Amino acid sequence: MANGGREALTPQAARSLVDSVDVFIFDCDGVIWKGDKLIEGVSEALHTLRSLGKKFVFLTNNSRKSRKQYAKKFSKLGMEINEDEIFTSSFAAAMYLKLNNFPTDKKVYVVGEEGIKEELKLVGYESIGGPEDGKKSIQLESSFFFDHDKSVGAVVVGLDQHFNYYKLQYANLCIRENPGCLFIATNRDSTGNLTSLQEWPGAGCMVSAVSCSVQKEPVVVGKPSTFLMDFLLERFRIDVSRMCMVGDRLDTDILFGHNAGCKTLLVLSGVTTLPALLDPSNSIHPDSYANDMSHFVQLLSQ
Amino acid sequence: MLTSRVISPSFLPLPPTASTSSSSFSSLRTILSPFLAKTQLSYTRTSRMASSLTARAAANKLENADELIDSVETFIFDCDGVIWKGDKLIEGVPETLDMLRSKGKRLVFVTNNSTKSRKQYGKKFETLGLSVNEEEIFASSFAAAAYLQSIDFPKDKKVYVIGEDGILKELELAGFQYLGGPTDGDKKIELKPGFLMEHDHNVGAVVVGFDRYFNYYKVQYGTLCIRENPGCLFIATNRDAVTHLTDAQEWAGGGSMVGAIRGSTQKEPLVVGKPSTFMMDYLSNKFGISKSQICMVGDRLDTDILFGQNGGCKTLLVLSGVTSLETLQSPDNSIQPDFYTSKIADFLSLKAATV
Repeated sequence: MANGGREALTPQAARSLVDSVDVFIFDCDGVIWKGDKLIEGVSEALHTLRSLGKKFVFLTNNSRKSRKQYAKKFSKLGMEINEDEIFTSSFAAAMYLKLNNFPTDKKVYVVGEEGIKEELKLVGYESIGGPEDGKKSIQLESSFFFDHDKSVGAVVVGLDQHFNYYKLQYANLCIRENPGCLFIATNRDSTGNLTSLQEWPGAGCMVSAVSCSVQKEPVVVGKPSTFLMDFLLERFRIDVSRMCMVGDRLDTDILFGHNAGCKTLLVLSGVTTLPALLDPSNSIHPDSYANDMSHFVQLLSQ
Repeated sequence: MLTSRVISPSFLPLPPTASTSSSSFSSLRTILSPFLAKTQLSYTRTSRMASSLTARAAANKLENADELIDSVETFIFDCDGVIWKGDKLIEGVPETLDMLRSKGKRLVFVTNNSTKSRKQYGKKFETLGLSVNEEEIFASSFAAAAYLQSIDFPKDKKVYVIGEDGILKELELAGFQYLGGPTDGDKKIELKPGFLMEHDHNVGAVVVGFDRYFNYYKVQYGTLCIRENPGCLFIATNRDAVTHLTDAQEWAGGGSMVGAIRGSTQKEPLVVGKPSTFMMDYLSNKFGISKSQICMVGDRLDTDILFGQNGGCKTLLVLSGVTSLETLQSPDNSIQPDFYTSKIADFLSLKAATV
């Protein structure tokens, strides 16, 4: 399979891939759906893979929803996927805190949406911030003092369509002034297909804003960090080489696969175009690529 | 954690060849053309490294103010933390400025704060009882407009502004059309099915600076322009991490807004404010002064002092702003000004001591 990702997946290579893999890890935005629309042929493709005895999980950097909320989204789109087959960067943030024994008497400030807050609550952490701080503004009169909760021990930053200066400043003060305050990023995707018609700024935007003001780099828990791979290995107990990451973004999905040591398949149904993949400035190469999920599965029977 | 990224290099249009435009602009372009050629290298984070590569001796405490004053013709002052803090004048400033003027020194004020225009800053100086001419003030809002003038940015193209009133006013004064600014702070987006954000394909530059009305709408608008309008420039007024907007505490600075756009476009901006030497080149050309005749006085190492060093002039750090003596002398700090002192009023007291 030494085509170095510069050649499209062939029928033979597709069959060989499927034979050598027990678990497929699917990214969601740009692979399964775009915004609220299922990508054409995805249901049938997943059905085919299941009938071949393959297992799958969904690994998304999109922190806007919790795992439970994603299961609902799948259901609305006509797919019955269990909550525990879904791994989100919002879940990753909550797990990171739990596994690092973050004390339950400390609070978490959230620059992000409901998904993060819900996952934190599920593991017993109190969070402040989130969507409601999107309505707050600041006054810059000389008498105004911006106060912040000194019991905040971690700031979690993810995609936030309600991002504003208030939240930025709140996060800035917590990270700078609360001793030992953690700075966690769910992910750093620059953009994403948040609606079906165009790309939108991703968490990378909010994370960079906070990072530039506190002059610190965050701990990143979503792809390409391999933090979530540990959960997958625990769940399936197979060798990582028997897994394949299927994604649409090179610097998160495919890099995750490289970092973790599993196989990688890029689909061109999302943010990455063929010219971008083949451009000499690109240094991240998947094992192979296909147009989309439907194309990948069609190759199996050719 | 990211070990490699697909980052498109930022690019600038080549400066147009000398045309029949007014002599002041073409001479400005001539002066600035080496600046424009080296811009891609200089105006990213690597500018921070330039100073650490030339290992400088530790800063000297200012003892003989007279000697420093006599050795230069022009003083460039930063404002926040040097002249004022929030809306309060720092002790001894009026007398110090008067003394320097009486010795025939030229005074220039260079601030990275882009929220006001030069005219509005002139009013602030006046309110605080200082007589400073608008022509002596160079804010990064002015710098953005001046930069666009220097490259002959076409008047039929538009500028999208993620920033405040100061930038809008300076663009207007320079005759450029703009979109965005504070009013876009009220615009909301709903990530609903079928929603498509349109953007003006005639935007040829996005200017990003401090913006207390910053929101997702603006980020998307700016990102669409930079990504989809061919040749669209990405200009940052400055990249300060924090800023003293009130005297009581520090606030997230323009660097955050610029960081957000860098995060979504994966492109590096052209920076016109300190420590980029754009404003230094501009005013040394405007006033006909050589850089060795200038002393830069500021309170921040990675903007003010680096600006002075990049520009090749003398540098004096004052401890009346964001930098403490501890920070200056810390082993983690690689930026050493020529001198340091507690505040600019020391020019008077140190002077008295040497009489």
